[in-house]
Amino acid sequence: MGSDLRLWGQLRADKAGMAGLLVVAAYFLLAVGVWAGMLGQDWSSAGGDRWASPGAEAWFGTNLLGQDIFQRSIYSVRTAFEIGLVVSVLSTLLGAILGAVAGWYGKTWVDGSVLWLAGVLDSIPFYLFVAAVAFALQGKPWAMHVAMVATFWTGTGRLVRAEVMKIKSREFILSARAIGLPDLVILARHVLPNTGHILLIQASIVFVAAIKTEVILSFLGLGVQDGVSWGLMLAESTQEVLAGHFNNFIAASAMLFVLLMGFNQLSDALQDAFDPREAAL
Amino acid sequence: MNPAVLTVRNLSVQTASGPGQRPAADHVSFELRQGEVLALVGESGCGKTKTAEAIMGLLSPDRWKVTADEIRLEGTELTRLTPREAGRIRGSEISMVFQEPLTALDPVFTCGYQLCSVFRRHRGMGRRESRESSLAMFGRVGFSDPERTFNSYPHQLSGGMRQRVMIAMAMACRPAVLIADEPTTALDVTTQAQVLAQLVELGRAYGTAILLITHDLGVVAQYANRALVMSGGKIVENARVDELFDRPRHPATVTLLSHAAGAVN
Ligand SMILES: Nc1ncnc2c1ncn2[C@@H]1O[C@H](COP(=O)(O)OP(=O)(O)OP(=O)(O)O)[C@@H](O)[C@H]1O
Ligand SMILES: [Mg+2]
Repeated sequence: MGSDLRLWGQLRADKAGMAGLLVVAAYFLLAVGVWAGMLGQDWSSAGGDRWASPGAEAWFGTNLLGQDIFQRSIYSVRTAFEIGLVVSVLSTLLGAILGAVAGWYGKTWVDGSVLWLAGVLDSIPFYLFVAAVAFALQGKPWAMHVAMVATFWTGTGRLVRAEVMKIKSREFILSARAIGLPDLVILARHVLPNTGHILLIQASIVFVAAIKTEVILSFLGLGVQDGVSWGLMLAESTQEVLAGHFNNFIAASAMLFVLLMGFNQLSDALQDAFDPREAAL
Repeated sequence: MNPAVLTVRNLSVQTASGPGQRPAADHVSFELRQGEVLALVGESGCGKTKTAEAIMGLLSPDRWKVTADEIRLEGTELTRLTPREAGRIRGSEISMVFQEPLTALDPVFTCGYQLCSVFRRHRGMGRRESRESSLAMFGRVGFSDPERTFNSYPHQLSGGMRQRVMIAMAMACRPAVLIADEPTTALDVTTQAQVLAQLVELGRAYGTAILLITHDLGVVAQYANRALVMSGGKIVENARVDELFDRPRHPATVTLLSHAAGAVN
């Protein structure tokens, strides 16, 4: 796209945004390392002493089962990215499609149904909904993903719907009609690509929301079923903190905190970079 | 006299919400003959654009009520087409150039991509073939470096260049009829003359009849064979251009002529 270079220039000038990008990139490399089987593979063996202090053997010490906290917090990066990516890609896709269809057929029964569905989903208390989905899916590991995708698309959907209504009345849509393109082709090729900036920003917001939500759900026992995540580590640490052992708690919180800070900076910078373009149109 | 390529009989356009209001177009009838340039002139808001959009079938039925006894393009009755059939005719048999070249192109795609989509849609061309045809077409409308235009985004081009891109898209399939809605009002005077000359020359070369919407009587005098004068949604005068200037019959025509004279003096 033509404005890519300018966007990148804008982003580079934003110091906080660049710092955020670096943090996210570093985490991403960790996740890739875990995927490739090079990092954090020793997260489940309970070989060592329980509650060992940090040292050469286990950099962050061990937890109540004698598992290596460093290995576990690194492996959790992969868990977080998996959930973030799956949920943000799927819910952005769903929001884009439903929002675009609603906006294109604005003020008709199609639009009405999408808005109604979004309204219903938004009004159900989220954790109740997750619990219900988890129960309905009989403890399937992806129950949490389903619940998040089903509820997180609504924000994207509403934004895309409003944008599509705006785009629909722009002249280049009329001229796409004038060269004889069918409706669905116009929607897919000329309307949706013009919502690209919204989709990118929403995907980054949902990515962060999904990681945060996973931590809370896992803490509550509704999230990750097999494997490890920062949320599960925090859940373990509730027993440890009472006994005066903080390593697990600190490691998981710090890993989560730094990633979320980085990602928030990055998505703020993205929004700023897109803003002048919005105004110029 | 040449045969008619486009026949419009009793075309009316009203807003769907308030049929009590004055119609934007009111029983418009005219014939566009093969190879001619027919001007459609009239004061701002008299219904020229709505007439054009109605002929093209671009008015959405939930906002506009279009009625006509006949809109015949060569052998085809346009009012009876399904949306699918109409889509195959728009852009290939009849096409339109819009008033505002800045906003009539999609900002996120290159001009080349947008011209290619015309060839792909109507000529069933693939990637390579449509690319070659597009480069040739850009050359045809006066771009000295078609390759560069092909790879440019609309915002990288000047207004005149964008309008040439629009003309290339509209003329790509050598349509029988081109409707040009004030194609040069957004441009400066020198560019206006160049773009118009190019458009008319291309129409002549391709045998395309042009309905040229304008409020510039200088343009009418220079390029058109006949002119329709529109006022308050109605066609009030239909005459050869020389007759129109020598013996204007309707008050609206006289007003237009006096405004034009005022602008020159
Ligand atoms: N979106 C709209 N909603 C309601 N009425 C409209 C709309 N667009 C145009 N009209 C009305 O329809 C009539 C015809 O408009 P049209 O755009 O065809 O005029 P025009 O002759 O092309 O004018 P101009 O020379 O300014 O382009 C106008 O009187 C206008 O008030
Ligand atoms: Mg107009």
